[in-house]
Amino acid sequence: MEIAWSLVLFTALTGCGGWLFVGVAIDEFTQKTSKANFISAIVALVLMIVGGLCSVTHLAHPENMLAALNHPTSGIFVEAVLVGIASAFIIVYLIAYGRSATLRRICAVAGAVVGVALSFMAGHSYLMDAVSNWNTMLLPLAYLGTAAASGFGVYALIAGIRHGQTTEADLKIAFILLTVGGIAAALTSLLYLMGVMDAADLMLVAVGAVAVGGVVPLACGVAGLKATNSATLLAAIATVGALVGAVCLRCAMWMAYVPLENFFGIVM
Amino acid sequence: MRNAIVVDLDRCIGCFGCEISCKMENNVALGEYWNKVIIEGPHGTFPDVEQYWLPTMCQQCENAPCVHVCPTGASYRNEDGVVLIDKSVCIGCKYCMMACPYGVRNWNEEQRVVEKCTLCQHLTSQGKEPACVHNCPGEARFYGDLDDPNSDVSKFLAETPAEDIHYLKNVGNNPSTAYILSSRFGTWRNGD
Repeated sequence: MEIAWSLVLFTALTGCGGWLFVGVAIDEFTQKTSKANFISAIVALVLMIVGGLCSVTHLAHPENMLAALNHPTSGIFVEAVLVGIASAFIIVYLIAYGRSATLRRICAVAGAVVGVALSFMAGHSYLMDAVSNWNTMLLPLAYLGTAAASGFGVYALIAGIRHGQTTEADLKIAFILLTVGGIAAALTSLLYLMGVMDAADLMLVAVGAVAVGGVVPLACGVAGLKATNSATLLAAIATVGALVGAVCLRCAMWMAYVPLENFFGIVM
Repeated sequence: MRNAIVVDLDRCIGCFGCEISCKMENNVALGEYWNKVIIEGPHGTFPDVEQYWLPTMCQQCENAPCVHVCPTGASYRNEDGVVLIDKSVCIGCKYCMMACPYGVRNWNEEQRVVEKCTLCQHLTSQGKEPACVHNCPGEARFYGDLDDPNSDVSKFLAETPAEDIHYLKNVGNNPSTAYILSSRFGTWRNGD
C-alpha cells in the first residue's frame, strides 16, 4: 500500500501539537518556563490547524467533509471532534492569558487531556479486523509515544529560546519531559514494530522510528539536564529527531498494510 | 430481512458470465470490478488436481465494517438490510476500502468515489433478479432473503448438506454470502 502522506502528516503534526500543549499545562503548575507558554500555545494551535488541513488533502471530495460529523462511530469523526475541541481550549487559553490564571489553568489541563487523547485516537482509528498488522493496541500507543517525544521536544526548544542561557532549574522540567517522551517513543515504537517487521522491508523506517525518534530525544533530554549551555541546540536536535521518528513510525504502519483478502487486487 | 446471494460452486463452470454481466448492467469501467471471479487453483499434483472458481463481490456482512468506519454515513444499510453506498456524500477517504476484509470495494476513478455491488437494487426493487444471477448459464447463483424460508436462497441452503456450505474468512464481520462446494468437487480454501 502506498504511504498516505496526508494522514502521516496529520497524525504527526496534531499529535505534536497536543503534547506540546501538555508541556504548557504542566508548566502552568510548575511555573519554571512560563515565558514559553504563550508562544507554545500558538505553535500548538498552528500545528492543529496545519495538521487538520493536511488530513483534508487526501480526500477526493473535501466539499462533503462536513458530512463527516454525521457518523459518530467512525474514527474520522472522533479525530475531527478532538482536533476541534483541543483547538478551542487552546484559543480560550490564549484569550485568558494574562487575565484569569484559573481559567488559563483549566483550559491548559483540558486542552492537554484532549490533545493526548487525540494522539492516541489518531492511531486507534486504524484498528480494524481486516488488517492484522494494524489491529493491535500497540499501534495507538506508538502514535501516542512518538507524539509525546515530538511535542515535548518542541516545548523544550521554545523554552530554550525564550529563556536563553538561564539557570539550570528553569529548563530542568522541560528536559525531564523530553527524556520521558524519548523513552515513550523508543519503547512504544519498538514494541509495535517488533510485531510487524515480517510484513515488509521495514528496517530503515524502524531504525528511524526507534533510534532517531526515540533514542535521540532521550539522549538529548538527558544531556540537556546537565549541559544547560547547549540546551537550545539539544532541544532542536531532539525535535528534528522526534518528528522524523514520528513520520517513520507512521510510514512503517502503511508499509505493513496486509489485508485479509484483496480479491479485486486494488492498490490503494 | 437479509438479502444476499448464494453461489453454488459445484455448478459454476468458470465462464466469467457473472463478472461480465455485472459490468454491462452497472456500467463498470475497464479495470474496475463490482464482481470478480477468482480462479482458486489448480492445487495438487497431476492426476490428483482440483480447482474451483470463486465469484467475489460484497458479502453483505451482518456486522459490516465498512458501515461502521464510514465517516459520512455514505456506506449504509437500507431498510431491506442491504449494504449500499450513497455516492453523493462519499468524501473519497477510502477508509471503507481499508476496513473491508475482502477487498471487494471499487474505486471509481472517474467519479472519485467508492462503489460496490448493490445486488442490482434497480432490478431487485422491481422484483427482478440481479444481473449476475439472471445471466448465470450454469444456474449456479441464487438471490433472496435469508430470513424468508420460502426464498430461493433459503430453500437451496436448506436442502444442502451443512458441511458443503462455506463462507469467506470471518473476522467478526459475519458475511452473508454463502458458497456451496462439496468435497467431491474440491476442498474449500477460502475460509472456515
